[in-house]
Amino acid sequence: MTFIVPIGPQHPAVKEPEFFRFEVKGEEIVNVDIRLGYAHRGIEEALARRNYKHNVYLIERICGICNVAHTTTYCQTIEQLAGVEPPERAKYIRTIILEFERIHSHLLWLGVAAHQIGFDTLFMLAWRDRERVMDLRELISGNRVTSATNTIGGVRRDVKPEHVPTILRGLDELERSTKYYIDVFSSDRTILARCANVGVLTKDDARKFCAVGPLARASGLKVDLRKDYPYATYDKLSFDVVTEREGDVWAKGMVRLKETLESIRIVRQALKELPNGPLRTKITLEIPPNETIERTEAPRGELFFYALSNGTDKPERVRVREPTYANMSSMKPMFVGGTVAEIPIVMWGIDPCFSCNDRVALVDSGSGKASTLTLEELRRWRR
Amino acid sequence: MDAEEVAALIKDHADEIKIVNDRCLFATTDRQRYRGAMLALKTQDVQHISTITGVDRGETVEVTYHFDCRPAELNLKINLPKNELRIPTITDIFPGAVLYERDLMEMLGVKVEGHPDPRRLFLPDDWPEGEHPLRKEWREKAK
Repeated sequence: MTFIVPIGPQHPAVKEPEFFRFEVKGEEIVNVDIRLGYAHRGIEEALARRNYKHNVYLIERICGICNVAHTTTYCQTIEQLAGVEPPERAKYIRTIILEFERIHSHLLWLGVAAHQIGFDTLFMLAWRDRERVMDLRELISGNRVTSATNTIGGVRRDVKPEHVPTILRGLDELERSTKYYIDVFSSDRTILARCANVGVLTKDDARKFCAVGPLARASGLKVDLRKDYPYATYDKLSFDVVTEREGDVWAKGMVRLKETLESIRIVRQALKELPNGPLRTKITLEIPPNETIERTEAPRGELFFYALSNGTDKPERVRVREPTYANMSSMKPMFVGGTVAEIPIVMWGIDPCFSCNDRVALVDSGSGKASTLTLEELRRWRR
Repeated sequence: MDAEEVAALIKDHADEIKIVNDRCLFATTDRQRYRGAMLALKTQDVQHISTITGVDRGETVEVTYHFDCRPAELNLKINLPKNELRIPTITDIFPGAVLYERDLMEMLGVKVEGHPDPRRLFLPDDWPEGEHPLRKEWREKAK
């Protein structure tokens, strides 16, 4: 006999609206179905009704946490459509703000993950340190969150020489605290008890369900578009792609923490090599008919854009596929076989961003099995 | 595979292969040959489908499958006339496409045949049947 445990749409472990329908047998989860779409705003259609410049601001509002990843990808897409190359300095500044975004996103993840397992001291510490990188973002862009730095053809804000010592000091502090968190994450009994061997995604499943980003890397897939499909200035900077083999929540956290250190390394190099020059290239917004795609590595994984122009200043079609959407298919193998108490941390393990996701939203049925099973089918399936 | 290698691999299954650069190419196929192209990709260990894009081009709906061939991204197109908006599922070859096909069905009204779970994806429950918000007809109506 199974029971249905509805979770959401209000506050399903994370403070975003989605609905999860867990089918449980005692404490054990036997099936999960996800109903998304509560934050669907019709952005793809809205993009086709506005001009390329307006769209930068709309794209930036797809998601707060990864707004720079969205605008960078969008701007790179439109630059390719128009055949324009942004100046070198702009590419370096993009790299810096992209990595700041990754650092803040990963520290945010750590804080919320700690909160999900009842370790609120770590939550407070991680978010205290996240403030340091938010301050650095504000220093460059004038905004803590929505940076409004990217524009088509380059960037709107400069990294001034007088900012550099402050940024380097901030990075030193961040490096120190991240190393401490790695130490805590690999030794603390509470974390190990709640995260190790929980919500496991095997390497085969990660590949089969097309997982992206830290989720794929925690399952041992060495995929990182900064290396595989370099953009901005990633081909000129040295950094490592972090992978773990376990595929559990612990590995997902470890990948994110170690990546934070790599991000700090990237920002230091970018600041050191930052060339002089203009910040943006002029661009004519009546783009002749053309089409292109662009992919970048957002904090949550592969962010994909497709754009089609038609000769006017408005795009014919812009398609956005952000990483949470791609990772939704992997949810089922992570939940099934686990217990109800694991739901919040496993859900948070993929670092879901539902507002990203719902700009075109979805419902997941995982491997494609029917979501409503008869008792008989369920019995067969359980074996 | 880089773009040249991907182009050589699918040349029997597609026309109008356009190599944009070594990591991006577009190709057009049809309902008879697209599975052949996908199976050929699968033999070269291509497992990642980035997404599926549907575009209303007036008389037809253009469905583009985006495959990550590491490092090249193959964008494989099929044009479906609006009076015959049907395409068999590819979830048997690429299970990761299950959500993108549901997205395609609901947003553009392309019927994906044999889909294991053809429920509505993200539109509300009371959304009227037969209305597809990314179709040009819908845009005209919504004005």
